[in-house]
Amino acid sequence: MATLAERAKSLRPSASKMALDSVGPVVLAIGLTLLLHFVVGPAVGHSGTKILLDMGINIVLAVSLNMVNGFTGQFSIGHAGFMAIGGYTAGIVTYYGGYKLFGTTNPTGGFLGAGQWLFALSCIAGAVTSGFFGYLVGLPSLRLKGDYLALVTLGFGEIVCVLLTQSGAVVPASGIDAVPAWQLPYHVGGAVGFSPLPFYTNLFWVYLFVCITVLFAYRLKESNHGRALLSIREDEIAAEASGIAVTPIKVRAFAFSAAFAGVAGGLYFHLLGALPKPGELGFQKSFEIIIMVVLGGMGSVSGTILAAIVLTILPEVLREFSDYRMVVYALALVLMMLVRPQGLFGIREIWELGRERRKKARGSR
Amino acid sequence: MSAALHVDNVSIAFGGLKAVSDFSLTLREGTLHGLIGPNGAGKTTVFNLLTGVYQADHGTISLGSQRMNGLKPNQIARAGMVRTFQNIRLFGDLTVLDNVRIACWSRTTTNTLAALFRTPAHMAEEAAIAERARELLDIFDLLPREREQAKNLPYGAQRRLEIARALAMDPKVLLLDEPAAGMNPQEKIALRGLIRKVREQFGLSVLLIEHDMGLVMDICERITVLDHGEVIADGEPSAVQRNPKVIEAYLGAPNEED
Repeated sequence: MATLAERAKSLRPSASKMALDSVGPVVLAIGLTLLLHFVVGPAVGHSGTKILLDMGINIVLAVSLNMVNGFTGQFSIGHAGFMAIGGYTAGIVTYYGGYKLFGTTNPTGGFLGAGQWLFALSCIAGAVTSGFFGYLVGLPSLRLKGDYLALVTLGFGEIVCVLLTQSGAVVPASGIDAVPAWQLPYHVGGAVGFSPLPFYTNLFWVYLFVCITVLFAYRLKESNHGRALLSIREDEIAAEASGIAVTPIKVRAFAFSAAFAGVAGGLYFHLLGALPKPGELGFQKSFEIIIMVVLGGMGSVSGTILAAIVLTILPEVLREFSDYRMVVYALALVLMMLVRPQGLFGIREIWELGRERRKKARGSR
Repeated sequence: MSAALHVDNVSIAFGGLKAVSDFSLTLREGTLHGLIGPNGAGKTTVFNLLTGVYQADHGTISLGSQRMNGLKPNQIARAGMVRTFQNIRLFGDLTVLDNVRIACWSRTTTNTLAALFRTPAHMAEEAAIAERARELLDIFDLLPREREQAKNLPYGAQRRLEIARALAMDPKVLLLDEPAAGMNPQEKIALRGLIRKVREQFGLSVLLIEHDMGLVMDICERITVLDHGEVIADGEPSAVQRNPKVIEAYLGAPNEED
């Protein structure tokens, strides 16, 4: 039989297919984000926009967690910890960095102005830092399995919270020049939270990052690298026996996932009405994200998106019962585990499910 | 004929239990070699030692000229020694096609970034993987079921899929752990032909653990017999069959008073 390389030579995709694959998503993403920013946002008003922003951030969080919990089958319950690391990093960049650059800690420039680009950069910085921490945590802990890994990630999330609670008070704009630059990252607000951060978060940036995250997750899943992750989730011993270097791949998936959590953190911290406090990013937040993944389907990108959307809107609709939200969540989870342990869509995407059902119906006739 | 696999005096003990002691075996290139023995003789332990699941306490394992001691299971698989499992280990929730495509991963060259941007090289490689996987499925008569979840396949088909997945790695040595277990007589007959066929087609050397003596005696050119972790016989099927030690291991020692 011909080797893979020999085969590949004769199987180059057509130019039109390539163009569609590379330009298509970009056009779609820009179209969607501009539409949301200029048409949908103004149409739904202030409170509607807030829900859309929350929704977008939740999608980034849930889809990124799905790369570890869903694709790779490693149960991590410290996702909020990575979100916190990314958020604080981004905050330092926009608050202190913004002051050094623009001379003010308030938002600078209009849509796509200098301040906005600094914000985008800060989210990427958050992603890099958080991804790096994901790598560090993953290196030793991903040799562990099941409950043990869950405990380590839980511990990690709590450690991040506690450390951030111990940080110093935010330096007001008037005093920043008096503090040496290398000490500034220490002054991130302690238990009262990192505020007042400039509120840069808008529909354009949130949904741009949503598009990037979703595209990343989906294309990863559809490639041989994603299938390698899925094989680890299915059977680690068989994956190893099939030539897959299990531990390095797990660590890499963990780092990717953490990086996108970092982006979500950056977006969340610069959102009007959000609470960038360490206490807000503890176990409870991690748990909320896990519920989205479990509900949507471990391994299903479209399923998690749907779950993130539903679980963002539901609390808004049931506002009067907000005290019972966690009770309802817990009940929903228990019910889900009993009825459909693999989540609404399991490993499949929404459209694949429809195709299967049609096929079954045809088969039974 | 040169040796595809050479195992020299390999031992492993779990606590005080000597699971395998001084196991030696030479798998000649292109042969079908049977590894038999009563239950608990240590056959699967030998496979685990060969594939790096366990590390030998002492002794050497060489694949061709390459030392396998100390390598991880995935490195050994990439070096060209691939196994199947006694208690089928497929990627159950994934499709039949995906099960085989996954095994091609270690032979691919494009990285994750290329996958995310869907570069021409990556897409060509993906197409090549799919093409090769389908060819393998076709050999094993699984092509019509390529979209089904592996766990929904009947037992015999799952066994065949496991072999197809192993072959996707382009092995030199194939270790089959009870491939006929749970198969019905027709499936077993088909399996004989299949093992012979893939050996010819892929130029494999096969080490086979099997309890079905008819199958072993029929297709193996050489047989090693293991009992209590030690090799008690090694040779051609006809010679092994007549070996008193082997008969004793399987049927028990004749009563002294008789």
